[in-house]
Amino acid sequence: MTTRKPWRKNLYENYEYEDNYTDPTFLKDLRTNLNVRFYTLGEVIRGVTVLTNQISCITGFLIIFYVLYSEKVSPTAILGPSFVLTVAGYVCFRWRILTLSMVLEDSKTLMTVLLFGFLLAPVLHTLTDAVSTDTIFSMTFIVFLFNVLFCDYGLSVAMVSKAISVNAAIFGSICLASRLSTSYHAFVLLVEAAIFFVLYPIVTREYWRCYFLLPIFVACCYCLWTISINVLWIYVSVTGFVNLVCPCIFVIQQRHKHNIHGPWDEAIVEETTDDNIDIKL
Amino acid sequence: MRICMASDFFYPSIGGVEEHIFNLSQILLKRGHKVIILTHCYGESKGIRYLTNGLKVYYLPIKVFYAQSILPTMICNAPLIRAVLIREQIEIVHGHSAFSALGHEAMIVGSLLGLKTVFTDHSLFGFADLSAVFTNKMLEIDLTCVDHCICVSHIGKENTVLRARVPKERVSVIPNAVDTALFTPDPSRRPQDDTINIVVASRLVYRKGIDLLSGIIPRFKSMPNIKFIIVGDGLKRELLEEIREKANMQDRVQMIGAVEHVEVREYLVQGHIFLNTSLTEAYCMAIVEAASCGLQVVSTNVGGIPEVLPDNLIILTKPEVDSIYEGIMKAIKRLQGYNKQSTTHRNLNTSNETKTPHASAHDHHPAKNGKLSRKLKKRHTKNSMQNSSSCQTKAIANNIVNDNLDAGDDVISSEAILCPHKCNEIVASLYNWNNVTQRTEKVYESILKEPSRSLGEILHSYLRADVWSILLPISMLHLILRFLEFIRPSRYMEKARDLPYSFKE
Repeated sequence: MTTRKPWRKNLYENYEYEDNYTDPTFLKDLRTNLNVRFYTLGEVIRGVTVLTNQISCITGFLIIFYVLYSEKVSPTAILGPSFVLTVAGYVCFRWRILTLSMVLEDSKTLMTVLLFGFLLAPVLHTLTDAVSTDTIFSMTFIVFLFNVLFCDYGLSVAMVSKAISVNAAIFGSICLASRLSTSYHAFVLLVEAAIFFVLYPIVTREYWRCYFLLPIFVACCYCLWTISINVLWIYVSVTGFVNLVCPCIFVIQQRHKHNIHGPWDEAIVEETTDDNIDIKL
Repeated sequence: MRICMASDFFYPSIGGVEEHIFNLSQILLKRGHKVIILTHCYGESKGIRYLTNGLKVYYLPIKVFYAQSILPTMICNAPLIRAVLIREQIEIVHGHSAFSALGHEAMIVGSLLGLKTVFTDHSLFGFADLSAVFTNKMLEIDLTCVDHCICVSHIGKENTVLRARVPKERVSVIPNAVDTALFTPDPSRRPQDDTINIVVASRLVYRKGIDLLSGIIPRFKSMPNIKFIIVGDGLKRELLEEIREKANMQDRVQMIGAVEHVEVREYLVQGHIFLNTSLTEAYCMAIVEAASCGLQVVSTNVGGIPEVLPDNLIILTKPEVDSIYEGIMKAIKRLQGYNKQSTTHRNLNTSNETKTPHASAHDHHPAKNGKLSRKLKKRHTKNSMQNSSSCQTKAIANNIVNDNLDAGDDVISSEAILCPHKCNEIVASLYNWNNVTQRTEKVYESILKEPSRSLGEILHSYLRADVWSILLPISMLHLILRFLEFIRPSRYMEKARDLPYSFKE
């Protein structure tokens, strides 16, 4: 065969070649694992503490429910310390931008919520009264599971929904409130629910450090120890599994990451929305 | 040969795939083959219809499920497809487009009936997200039964080989083509003053890069001689209208809306520059049509686009607003230089009018071209004889000027071809449907020579995709076909009569 022109990657010059000819340059532009990040075990363990924190948060709330339910502690004895802690947390959180008008504005919101909560507590207390206790407990388990699943851990994925997670938790606490003796108990439980599932996540999202988990874990363990050894074991094993075993599985499975990139990938451009339309003009 | 084109996408729907199927079928008919088209019904279009030159189209009564495609059930439409394939005595089933469930279904039924199957992939697909993983697996399963694949560009081949794991030698690259006799330039339709029209013709959706376009239009706010003509419709139309209003360019950005494919030429010939901002594209017919109409093409360098046109017909840019803006400015400068020259050399022009008309451009034709291209050539020559001769002298003048200028001047490089008629000739020499059809025919011939596969071999080949459960529907489909053969034996089925060959010259 006479020497033919070298093959070139275009659609109009290679008529000396068969149509199913494959050049050695085939897949030259293929890139694998371009943007893939491989995590170390330490990073993963540190990262997963936000999930354990949420589990501990629910555990803490359930401990408060238990002491109210079993009448071991009076509602006022719970409301007082949590009020102090909330105020302390508020001051820490808003310290840099704290102004008097802001304090007034926020306390107005607080008073409205507390007032309406107190007024509506009898209604909420009897809302699910007719439902049997077993149903309430199993339903509570399911809705708190939803809370854990949809909670915002700082990832931008489709599954995260703050609305679902907060609503699930509030619904769960309303269910539990109906098992308490008086509507004042129910009111305190709902206030605690607001602190644990609305205010606490706001603070932790800003200031979370992985070593915070340790005191939280110890406190939960101690409270559970006073309540029931079996529950303590469940809590410890779940925390251990989530915080130690799962990261190991994740790190081992990382070697299967195989992402393909090439010229066929869609170019990524910023979508023009109502927010950034004026910058382009 | 008796060929059945199967795809969900066909007239009255409009697009690149539809255009490809129609043109390919037309030339195949001309060359004496029997061609039928299988598609699902579109509103009023149902039953059997005959299109131009006796092209028989079966609009099967199947409900559309999602995005013009039928529900991929694999087995539900088997009786219908089998009846058509047997009645028409089909030898080759040719499916089009990875998104067409009907195409895949027809190919699976065809391969189980012992027919040969060809698949043309018209699109590129990523690998990043979960939906891509799923779609690629489906395609891999579907393509195991296919005898040969055709891709429209080399990028398309790489993509298909990777995502569907088809053996490389079973994939051919055969580009699309453009009817250059239809998309002819007409410089008299361009504005005669110094206005420069930039034409955009695409669906106005995210994938076509309309967000980029919305960033580019306001950049020309201060250049009153630049006007935009935007042809097409889609979700992002509102965005462009908003941008137009905010940039105060209502009189300079013309929104035409969706038009028929043949009418696109009406708008293309009015423009000087064609802008394509696609984010991904396997082949991009639009830029070839624009180049054929003599426009300067500015396009994003994505997917198969760099393979389509030679460098002297296209300005490639990065898919970023700044880069595209630079590309357009380069094109504008070239145009202005070209216009200046054509006025200063008008004297030269008239004196040289008797120079031999263009013959050289057609020498680039691939040797495979048949009679039709010669016919086209004749028509072309007639159409553009006068204009083209003047263009040539312009080009000569161009060269003279360039020789005098510094060689490193990139504003008017001697390579960029600006004469619209010359552009048309070059595109005609690069792409025509005759050539495409002949190459497709070759694929058909080669697969007809291959021995047919037994049921065992077909089932075995499905194992390659690592999805064992797929054997279940395939063997189910085989049993259904056997049952149909029992209740309605193919030897007693009435064969459809062929139209007497009546191709109008």
